Amino acid sequence: MRWILSFLLLGLLAVVQAASASGNKLLVVIEELAEKSKYSKYLGDLEARGFKLTYESPKSDKVALFELGERAYDHLLILPPKSKGLGPQLTPKILLDFINAGGNILLTLSSSHPTPSALVSLLLELDIHLPSDRTGLVVDHFNYDTISAAEKHDVVLVPRPDALRSDVKNFFAGDGKDVIAFPKGVGQTLGNTSPLLTPILRAPRTAYSYNPKEEVEGVDDPFAVGQQLSLVTAMQARNSARFTVIGASEMLENAWFDAKVKPSAGLTGAASDKAAKTANQAFAKEVTGWTFNEIGVLKVGKIEHHLDEGETEPVINPKIYRVKNDVKYFIELSEYQWDKWVPFQPAEGDNVQLEFSMLSPFHRLPLTLSSTTPTSTIWTTSFKIPDQHGIFNFKVNHKRPLLSNIEEKNTVTVRHFAHDEWPRSWAITGAWPWMAGIAVTVAGWVGFVALWLWSKPVPLKLTNSGKKVV
Amino acid sequence: MAETVADPFFKGNTGRNTRGILRLSILVLIAAAAIASRLFSVIRFESIIHEFDPWFNFRATKYLVSNGFYDFWDWFDDRTWHPLGRVTGGTLYPGLMVTSGAIYHALRALTIPVDIRNICVLLAPGFSGLTAFATYLFTNEMSTSPSAGLLAAAFMGIAPGYISRSVAGSYDNEAIAIFLLVFTFYLWIKAVKLGSAMWGALCALFYGYMVSAWGGYVFITNLIPLHVFVLVCMGRFSPRLYVSYCTWYALGTLASMQIPFVGFLPIRSSEHMSALGVFGLLQLVGFVEFVRSGVPSKQFGTLLRGFVLLVFGISFGGLVLLTVSGVIAPWTGRFYSLWDTGYAKIHIPIIASVSEHQPTAWPAYFFDLNLLIWLFPAGVYLCFQKLADEQVFVVVYSILASYFSGVMVRLMLTLTPIVCVAAALAVSSLLDTYLLLKSPEYPGDSATEAGSNGTPAPSKKAAKQDGLRSMRQPLVGIYTTFSKMSVVSALTSYLLIFVLHCTWVTSNAYSSPSVVLASRMPDGSQHIIDDYREAYQWLRQNTAEDAKIMSWWDYGYQIGGMADRPTLVDNNTWNNTHIATVGKAMSSREEVSYPIMRQHEVDYVLVVFGGLLGYSGDDINKFLWMVRIAEGIWPDEVKERDFFTDRGEYRVDEGATETMKNSLMYKMSYYNYCTLFPPGQCQDRVRGVKLPDVGPTLNTVEEAFTSENWIIRIFKVKDLDNAGRDLASAASFERGNKKKKTIKKRGPKVLRVE
Repeated sequence: MRWILSFLLLGLLAVVQAASASGNKLLVVIEELAEKSKYSKYLGDLEARGFKLTYESPKSDKVALFELGERAYDHLLILPPKSKGLGPQLTPKILLDFINAGGNILLTLSSSHPTPSALVSLLLELDIHLPSDRTGLVVDHFNYDTISAAEKHDVVLVPRPDALRSDVKNFFAGDGKDVIAFPKGVGQTLGNTSPLLTPILRAPRTAYSYNPKEEVEGVDDPFAVGQQLSLVTAMQARNSARFTVIGASEMLENAWFDAKVKPSAGLTGAASDKAAKTANQAFAKEVTGWTFNEIGVLKVGKIEHHLDEGETEPVINPKIYRVKNDVKYFIELSEYQWDKWVPFQPAEGDNVQLEFSMLSPFHRLPLTLSSTTPTSTIWTTSFKIPDQHGIFNFKVNHKRPLLSNIEEKNTVTVRHFAHDEWPRSWAITGAWPWMAGIAVTVAGWVGFVALWLWSKPVPLKLTNSGKKVV
Repeated sequence: MAETVADPFFKGNTGRNTRGILRLSILVLIAAAAIASRLFSVIRFESIIHEFDPWFNFRATKYLVSNGFYDFWDWFDDRTWHPLGRVTGGTLYPGLMVTSGAIYHALRALTIPVDIRNICVLLAPGFSGLTAFATYLFTNEMSTSPSAGLLAAAFMGIAPGYISRSVAGSYDNEAIAIFLLVFTFYLWIKAVKLGSAMWGALCALFYGYMVSAWGGYVFITNLIPLHVFVLVCMGRFSPRLYVSYCTWYALGTLASMQIPFVGFLPIRSSEHMSALGVFGLLQLVGFVEFVRSGVPSKQFGTLLRGFVLLVFGISFGGLVLLTVSGVIAPWTGRFYSLWDTGYAKIHIPIIASVSEHQPTAWPAYFFDLNLLIWLFPAGVYLCFQKLADEQVFVVVYSILASYFSGVMVRLMLTLTPIVCVAAALAVSSLLDTYLLLKSPEYPGDSATEAGSNGTPAPSKKAAKQDGLRSMRQPLVGIYTTFSKMSVVSALTSYLLIFVLHCTWVTSNAYSSPSVVLASRMPDGSQHIIDDYREAYQWLRQNTAEDAKIMSWWDYGYQIGGMADRPTLVDNNTWNNTHIATVGKAMSSREEVSYPIMRQHEVDYVLVVFGGLLGYSGDDINKFLWMVRIAEGIWPDEVKERDFFTDRGEYRVDEGATETMKNSLMYKMSYYNYCTLFPPGQCQDRVRGVKLPDVGPTLNTVEEAFTSENWIIRIFKVKDLDNAGRDLASAASFERGNKKKKTIKKRGPKVLRVE
């Protein structure tokens, strides 16, 4: 069943001329179509990459994410609306259902307008927190753009982000030198508990968020400061649907794609004089590409497991093994990169692992690379099945930030030794005394019978007392 | 007396033949009656497998028939005890399945294609006919009266105590085991009587068959040695006894060890030690007898005493040593519960939770055996009159079986054969006495006169010794036709009432399949409540083939058999911890249960709820056993006390404890139940209480199916939330509650470190 589905998917993909690994129907929710021109470069990039864009106003009747119970679009881009609400078609529940159905959402915020309450409660469900009163502004007195925000310091210049951890792939590194302009944005804080959240771009150490409407000198209790403030946040649901929040919609505007910025004097006090072009266009492409499944998507190809006991043609993927069998396991992995599948390689210091588990893992083994095809890598390991019968799973549970989730479970039965699979008694040296005992008994019995039959009965004599004696 | 036309048929050689034919036709009729009286359930319902265990046996038989014997022998069942699986081929008694498989293939070979289900359904009635025949043979060994055997066969054929386990559809081990039990005893008696190695070997053969068929073989394993031991103690050691017992023990033990489930138990477990011990004792006694023939009797006495003490000391010490060191398995809990009926309740709740393991109530004896139970002592008494080796067996059997039947309801089954035999002995001796219409002739006037004159006469001498006045009569006995008629007619009417009682009990108490419930409509017509099969069929048609179903273990076999879905636990209660895990999941809060269910890959949870219909065998009534069994493993997490109110009541209404209200079982049972009733009238008809109007809410499971009469409710276990929330908040969001914004906490902020 699954391979039929994957074939169908592959066929579909071929038809839609590789834009994203999961379809190219993109709904752009924008309040006034006139504003489209502000984002023309960004939207043009998307169209050039093969997305089919549909524009709808959030209030329009036609904006429906679901049609006949099926997802009508593959991706959703929400540009910040001016009005307070998003209308009855874009309630948090529908948006969440869209994610649950595998749709990707790119959400942009702006400090110019208060965030609609629907979005706030959606973000709250995902454990992403916005400043209270739905407005907030990220400022940084050490990393602002001296050209455009010399007074307000609200255009924060951020260097390209580092990898989240050393063993996680970094899709947003660029060439490492250019800066990203984050104008008039809203920062978010992320909950501690959710492992699905990943900050893509964090604010510099010296940034903080405050409510610009409060007319006070100095901020007593900022919403969040420094690295705790996430400017661009990614959430990848369990079904690998992606949801990204960009704190500043202005980032995507044409103006900031081309703008030149001059960083202020940093903490070290050394200001650079040179004005440089922002990396916003490249960064926007990467973030959008990630959100809309153009990069960081993993695919499992063939999974094979079979006996590894010297058979020439073992049965592939048998349903049942025996305890203490030697088995071999293969899994084929591909990664999507913009428009094609390429062989997947885990990040430096990371590996793909196989668990052989029943209730808890009996084996947890790193897989080694066995071969590479033009579109995939094949990983393998071989091991001995534990001496425990039961229903086991070959399980590859590869969940890494920014890579789509792989959770492959192949259930097999591990049976006990059949009655004719034990070593025969004469092969066990410990059994020899017993077998010798049996042989002696048999021989003794035969000998006794022979002796008995051979010996002639002696006639009985009567004694005086009347007793019979031999 | 006039010559009648029929006379030539009843006299001489022809007479013997006629009697033989009569005897045969009576036996055939008894067998037919035995089979026919067990068919109520087939006629009323349909040809269906009953209850719980038979469903497993049926499933195993199907596996055997379709996969062959060796696959069955090595069968690893991956659809039960998920995810542990069960080495089924090695943990069952294969006799029953192999028997029906053999019948199936034999019929096939005769080109009679019969569905394996029908063979399974009708196996027990078929074997009950054979049991009647075996009882006939057994009783004939006990008594010279020609009627005793036939009476015993008739009793055995219709006694409710045996019918309870052998109606059509009750495809359980006992179906064939009782026949084997009686037949093995017959062969044993034959062997003891004749001292023949051949009969001993036959006995061992059937003992082996019995071992392959039922765990109750231990009864034989202990009864035969006990018989021998009693005989030896009575000083009745004889070469006959020696030959028959040694043949039986050696061959029977070897035969029993061929069953994988039994394996080395006969030489390692305490239950089998008596047989081994008596085997050793017989060797010693045989040796002593041999020595006695060569040594003068005076020295022999001292020698014997010293020898016996020495051997006893050594063997007892050895036994204790081996038990302590663990070579011989100590007595199991099931065994202890045979001596102390309260033992199981305290130490092994899993055993105590089974209704058939409860001590027998006194009315059950009358219910299951009717008049036989008061004829039984009379029959045993008659055995004392002529106390040969075989009568000793009857006495020993009666005492042992009477005790055990009082301890456990299901052991009534082993008592029934001996009750039938003893009662038949009593009735036949009564009938033999009273049915003889002829009165003996008086010896003559002279003798009478001599008696009255006081001159010594032979009869008078005997009478004097007795000293009873009535015995002074020359002929002692009841010879009037009236007294004979009255006794015989009374007895006949008792027997007729016995037949009525048996039919009534069979029809009303033992012929319900318990898969299908029957009730009466107001107009008296029958109404079938078929919720079980409705639900199992739903599972079969609407769930994935490997969807794991969690339910209390009672329903495991039925789900496996009827719905063909993997289960977590079933009626083969071999793994107490696994059952306790399910008990814990059922009796804990959802937050605790959910990880357990996830870990065990549970897809659906099935509960039985009788509140709407007033069906008392539901899960809420069994709930305390789940709690107790779970408490046995996790005493810190599950506490029985928490399910009782402060006043010690087990309540399900508003007064229920918080633990009770939050338990998964309670929530699943009463979920949405009150929507059936107008506000304020929500009622549980089993426990007869009014329920609060606001029912429980479920976060981690969702209702998937509820059967017509709400007896079976199936819930689907939700997957983890896609957006990473806990299921309670996800469910609350689904219901439309907005998440409250986290209020700023005092104290330091919790920072994200990654």
